[in-house]
Amino acid sequence: MSLLRTGLRSAADLDRVFIAVCLIVPLAALGLFFVYPLATVALRSVTEPGGSIGLGNFAVILRSTSFWRATAHSLTMSGSTTAVVLVLGLVVAFALRRCRILAGTLVMGAVALPLLMPSLVQGLGLIFLLGRNGLLTKASGIEINIYGFWGLLIANGLYALPQAVLIISAALRSADARIYEAAEILGTSPWRQFRDITLPNIKFGLLSAGFVVFTVTITDFGNAATIGGDYSILATEIYNQVVGQMNFNLGAVVGIMLLFPTVLAFYLERVASQRQFGSHSDSAVPIVPVWTPRRDVPMTVAAWLIALLPIVTVGVVVFASFVWLWPYRFDLTLRHYAVKVAGGYDPLWTTIYISIWAGLVGTALTFALGVALQRMPRHAVKPIYFVCMLPAAVPGLVLGLSYIFAFNAPGTPIYFLYGSAVLIAFCNVFHYWTQGFLTTMTGLRLVPASLQETAACLGAGLPRVMRDVVAPHMAPTIVSVFFFLFMQSMVTLSAVIFLITASVSVASVSIMRLDEAGFTSQAAAYATCTMGVVVAASIVMRVLLALMTGRRKSAG
Amino acid sequence: MKTLGAQMRKIWQVCVFTLLMGSVAHAGPVTAYTALEEDEIADYVAAAKKALPDVDLKVLRLSTGDLGARILAEASNPQHDVIWGWAVTNMMDPRVLALLQPYKAKGADKLAAPYRAADDKWFAATGYMAAFCVNNERIKAKGLTMPKDWADLLDPKFKGEVVMPNPVSSGTGYLQIVGILQQMGEEKGWKFLKDLDANVAQYIKSGSRPCKAARAGEFAVGTSLAFAAIQSIQEGFPVTMVIPASGAGFELEASALMASSKNKADAQKFLDWTLAPDAAGIYGKYKEIVTIPGIKPSAASVKAGLPADVTKILLPIDFAKSAVQRTAILERWQKEIGR
Repeated sequence: MSLLRTGLRSAADLDRVFIAVCLIVPLAALGLFFVYPLATVALRSVTEPGGSIGLGNFAVILRSTSFWRATAHSLTMSGSTTAVVLVLGLVVAFALRRCRILAGTLVMGAVALPLLMPSLVQGLGLIFLLGRNGLLTKASGIEINIYGFWGLLIANGLYALPQAVLIISAALRSADARIYEAAEILGTSPWRQFRDITLPNIKFGLLSAGFVVFTVTITDFGNAATIGGDYSILATEIYNQVVGQMNFNLGAVVGIMLLFPTVLAFYLERVASQRQFGSHSDSAVPIVPVWTPRRDVPMTVAAWLIALLPIVTVGVVVFASFVWLWPYRFDLTLRHYAVKVAGGYDPLWTTIYISIWAGLVGTALTFALGVALQRMPRHAVKPIYFVCMLPAAVPGLVLGLSYIFAFNAPGTPIYFLYGSAVLIAFCNVFHYWTQGFLTTMTGLRLVPASLQETAACLGAGLPRVMRDVVAPHMAPTIVSVFFFLFMQSMVTLSAVIFLITASVSVASVSIMRLDEAGFTSQAAAYATCTMGVVVAASIVMRVLLALMTGRRKSAG
Repeated sequence: MKTLGAQMRKIWQVCVFTLLMGSVAHAGPVTAYTALEEDEIADYVAAAKKALPDVDLKVLRLSTGDLGARILAEASNPQHDVIWGWAVTNMMDPRVLALLQPYKAKGADKLAAPYRAADDKWFAATGYMAAFCVNNERIKAKGLTMPKDWADLLDPKFKGEVVMPNPVSSGTGYLQIVGILQQMGEEKGWKFLKDLDANVAQYIKSGSRPCKAARAGEFAVGTSLAFAAIQSIQEGFPVTMVIPASGAGFELEASALMASSKNKADAQKFLDWTLAPDAAGIYGKYKEIVTIPGIKPSAASVKAGLPADVTKILLPIDFAKSAVQRTAILERWQKEIGR
């Protein structure tokens, strides 16, 4: 008897240790690689020109008219992008998860395409298509001015859509088919089913997606630089201060200001999500959509229409990389693939290495943290949750520079990371932490609690519950988080540009250098190669994954 | 827990130890931060490695603005030994000057006075200048006449056809408006900039981008850099390079030794080399402005429309003044013109 009790107690202890590890490791990493660097930025924002501490910098920024104009622009832009992307994202995610549409996997792939290239190249693609001398403009004869609000809306929309779809479809992935059956029997119309069952159930996912879209568009600089024209936004204000005028402290002020809309958005989201009703029922029966022409034909058309723009935008860049001289000589050539940039294609391999690590580390950390948070009291979760929302609100430029302040400090034990590929990988993990974290949390909410409890009652320790119950349930979410982090690390530029060294560089920097040096088509070629590598790597990894799960299934 | 702590400390010690050993063993590398152009760097580095086989040269290339942010952010512990070919207006920032160590490079005395610092903190072997990239096809399609000078761009026909770099984010944009202000004088200069603003379609974030927008046929005229124009013509774009007839604004590319360098001997060897005849020989191939006496521009540049003696078309820019006035000028620009 006593033997059994000690056995139980040690199992409980083991669970406690497991949760502690799941909590402490991600939090320590978050502290070291995000909070601490961000604190150095906060310090800069209150460091006045003379070196004293004060709010003088804030006064300077708050007095400038350009700041308020940029703020108004940023809010308008991010608000409209969020509205548009949420609607489109819901359509795509709903089509993918709740309908039987034609070639759904391809739609998802197409929507994710903009994640595969730096925003610089995406802007290029839009200009090639819709610019004053663009293909569509010339074909249609209608000259629209895409430089400014509309171009920025399209570019930001393209970039944010896959992230919204990722989160919304994690929310749509599981639901209880029996509720819908009951509704069906009661004669509820499909529209009411959608309004009264589906929407309330995915409210958390929708709010999270809205939050992510809003913050990533308010912080993105790449699109604003290529296609934003004179439409100044807060991220360009930071760039003007930091890069244009070498005035980091004022840039830091704008960076801190950018956190405010995010704090507000976070608060609104929390308030709203508290009112969410009935989360996941215990023995939910997964929905297997049945082919319903009345619903599925229009949804197929809608999803493919939405997927068309990213396909065409990316396609035109790939095409341009094979064209002799865009847009004057359309003979096909491979000459742009002999790139003249320092290091040639070497940075591409470094980037793959960095991206795989970022994907693995990021997925493991967000998953561990999510598991720990689920087992903690609500009041303790809140502040952690809040910190996890902040990375989305920090522009890459600010994050990259903050890493210099934090890690270029000889005499500290973390100095050895400075200038290494590992630091770039960590920077990427925390740059995109929020999206990964929110997707994981959305997925975790949908793992039936009763199943875990049953497993625990049967004597399974937490690690075992994780492995055999939660992980299999979460597998699709885990895989999408990994790929999201992997793909973003392959193409991100704004933060890593400050962390590359003479010997460690990445593909996106090569693309930018080629573009800066005037070799636009070579930049397109390099971007095409990067995209090819990402697609190939994704296929290889998916095949491996399928093989692994297949073997486990047959073994079990 | 104690043993774990002790173990962790040991791991750190090993890490730090190997790191120190590593850096002692490789005292050799000279790291240069540069904003020179991609293709020319490859050429220079190959030549430098041949001339200085015992110097382990490592180069990090970033655009002028990004490099400035990097240098200042790293100021407490600089990672580089020399700054090589960086806009002198940025170099004159007091926070940057404070990081430099005066060094009289071999050959610097041959440079004319405006091309080196009185206190030997920097010298400039090369430079770049403002020029218009004009798209021949768009000019024809829109029935415009080829502009010859800044004043020609005031013609209402050019409305919405001119793109300029934004001086707040781009050094090239700043050198263009400083050129205009110093040439016309404050009052006339500002009035001119405001009149020109009526025709400007957009102020782009970087200095070479207006040329790219013009060469792609998006706009008729991009006020940009001669380098970008020459390069676009070489690539085969239907572009004409126009150097403003009343004189062109320009920028010097300065080099300097970092006071923090741990390998000054090699760093100085490299700086000497940037003024040596074999380096100077390559400058002519890429550079519109070479301050080392007796260097001729390349055939491609001359074909693109660069005069044999560039010094005659350069405006007499006062760089010290332009560096000091920078904040005030940009503030006024943002208030009166900025969008």
